[in-house]
Amino acid sequence: MMANEKVPAETPQADPREASKQASKAEGKPDRAAKEKERAEKVEAGAAGHGAEGRGTRNEQGEATFLQAISEALWEEMENDDRVFLLGEDIGIYGGAFKVTEGFIDNFGAERVMDTPICEETIIGAAVGAALAGMRPVAELQYADFIANGFDELVNVAGKYHYRTGHSVPIVVRGPSGGGVRASAFHSQNPEPWFAHTPGLKVVVPAFPYDAKGLLKAAIRDDNPVVYFEHKWIYRRIKEVIPGPDEDYTVPIGEAKVHREGDDVSVITYGAMVHKALEAAEELTDRGISIEVLDLRTVHPLDTEAILRSVERTSRAVVVYESYRSLGIGAEVSALLAEEAFEMLDAPVVRLAPPNIPVPFSPTLEDAYMPQVETIVETVEKLAKW
Amino acid sequence: MAERTRKSASARPKPARTGTPRVAKPKPKPKPKPKPRAPRAKASTLSSFDLKEEQLKEIWYHLKLCRFFDERMETLYRQGKLPGAIYSGRGQEGTHVGTAYALREEDKFLGTHRDLSAQLTKGLDLKRVAAQYWGRIDGYTRGRDGNSHIGDFHGVGTFAAVSMLPDSYPVTCGVGLAFKMRGEKRVAVGMCGEGATSNGRWHESLNFSAIHRLPVVWLVNNNQWAYSTPNALEFPIERVSDRASAYGMPGAYVDGTEVLQVYQTVSEAVGRARAGDGPTLIESVSLRWKGHAGHDPAKYVPKEVLDDYVENRDPVAKFEALLLKEGVVDDSDTKQIEDRVKKEFDEAYEFAQESPLPDGADATLGVFTDDGYWARPAEGALLGDDR
Repeated sequence: MMANEKVPAETPQADPREASKQASKAEGKPDRAAKEKERAEKVEAGAAGHGAEGRGTRNEQGEATFLQAISEALWEEMENDDRVFLLGEDIGIYGGAFKVTEGFIDNFGAERVMDTPICEETIIGAAVGAALAGMRPVAELQYADFIANGFDELVNVAGKYHYRTGHSVPIVVRGPSGGGVRASAFHSQNPEPWFAHTPGLKVVVPAFPYDAKGLLKAAIRDDNPVVYFEHKWIYRRIKEVIPGPDEDYTVPIGEAKVHREGDDVSVITYGAMVHKALEAAEELTDRGISIEVLDLRTVHPLDTEAILRSVERTSRAVVVYESYRSLGIGAEVSALLAEEAFEMLDAPVVRLAPPNIPVPFSPTLEDAYMPQVETIVETVEKLAKW
Repeated sequence: MAERTRKSASARPKPARTGTPRVAKPKPKPKPKPKPRAPRAKASTLSSFDLKEEQLKEIWYHLKLCRFFDERMETLYRQGKLPGAIYSGRGQEGTHVGTAYALREEDKFLGTHRDLSAQLTKGLDLKRVAAQYWGRIDGYTRGRDGNSHIGDFHGVGTFAAVSMLPDSYPVTCGVGLAFKMRGEKRVAVGMCGEGATSNGRWHESLNFSAIHRLPVVWLVNNNQWAYSTPNALEFPIERVSDRASAYGMPGAYVDGTEVLQVYQTVSEAVGRARAGDGPTLIESVSLRWKGHAGHDPAKYVPKEVLDDYVENRDPVAKFEALLLKEGVVDDSDTKQIEDRVKKEFDEAYEFAQESPLPDGADATLGVFTDDGYWARPAEGALLGDDR
């Protein structure tokens, strides 16, 4: 009855990487210390773009980069829970475009660190299916921009499934987002508002290694679909001491955090812009203005209480974010303040965010596109005087 | 190379020099391809299938129930007694019942809104299905979705159909992947219509499943019409199943009006998948008797084709005739099963009318697991909730 009985052999084409792996083993290991030193220097120099460099390890003080923190979260969750596995493009032997999963395949095997073809719909859809069937998949998109290729499975299948059936879909979809690394229109976007707008998806955008690790662990343990954007500008630039594998912790999804207390103006922000806001805060202190930096950490569900609490204290707010200005996170925060905090406000709420244009390449263009420390300083000064 | 180009240029008829810019001649309309010959299987004899009498009767019951449900729901829809839409699967019951009957309880079925008959065969409770159509709290989705956008993944093992086709295909890959990773001898079947095979997800999924030799069976319910679009405008080849070899898997082409042949073909593919031998693509051909949805009179389907299928290739009538001819059932059995099916439908209908509508105040609950809405029993539900 079969029209085509020809069944392919067990492995139609051998994986040529095995041969390369053997060859490099034979060459012997390079001087590890020298390599680490070289790496560390490059990290200091801010090699933040496409990650040809290894992920590296924590430094002597025990500080982890954002990249390492994310990697540690994945590693620990995979160690602790057999249901957790990774799938994505080039995450196996290559270790991922940014090296988040470097070395994972040696420890967890090719099935749990699965190199997929270029098929974002199927990466996300297969994650949904595996999750329904009892697994805890973490799908990696090589760049957050590529999530557009898997949009439907995320929005129409994952996001709606629990509401429609009561059966949960515990998936995490990770993607390196954000600009400032001269990567232009297809490797710099901040797609979080797409998913914050859509029902059924939690959307997390951490700014610090501690939060990145804790939030990713929380995302993997969450019974709902979580979209997790990791800003690639932060990857190798920001480091801090964070708990190791012996000290399990999570950061709750949906809770904002005050990174710096202040009285005059609330700067409500998330992602890489948190770091610009903190830089602006230093400069504003010199000018006698005290700002409160509120890091949203999760953009959906939004921590509305924390936003209102902060503005209650300062009566002024500017929302700084890297996704598009119109119809986005800033618009939502502004509307919340207009509806719930009108009587507390002493000045209009201001949005500082990129205009609705594709992310441009040339440094002058990209810098003009993105909110800068000086813009934050100027805006806050104006508001403080209102 | 250049010479050859000149040569061939001179061989072409010279364009007329009219002084106006040359405009490419409109290409002649592609000649309508002859309709793919739907396989017309030789009439089955029961002895060629390894099925017990009880099983044959079960298949018969499913066919009768699905047909009756489909017809009655259409009538109620036309009478204005049914809210929302209906997506009739009439004429395709051979594909639906034959496929679902080949699965074990622990296997999963992931289809479309046209495949309710397969889900009923896999075990959906008719009362809860009816409650779903009337938006009641006892429906599988507690009124949060309608009609055949239904499923019970952790119960009878069916995916709640999504309208964008074939969204269930990538999900099927993931279910198969989970089974494979855990070393379970279970199979996931993905079903979609032939129209969905034009979509990228279909190709991605076949490719992915073959690379990883997933325990998956791909069913294409070729009912010859994707809404109003015929096969010739969906693919330029005669058979969708011919694509199987390009993905590195076996392909099969089967007469979807012959339920036992579908059952047999799917069983073989399921057996291969269960044994770890990877996916199979099966194309099961029948005709969509009704429109895309209840509102669509489907006047684009040639009358003689429809008449031929309804009169000569009705999967339910053909199977029943076979059972009668071979003496498996007699006229009194027919009467009995028709009474049973009618009674079950009537009970389900009554149940749906009695089941309360969900409370509008609860509309925002259950998006995430966090509010516990789905973990609590449905308020006012008549049936116990065994999720």
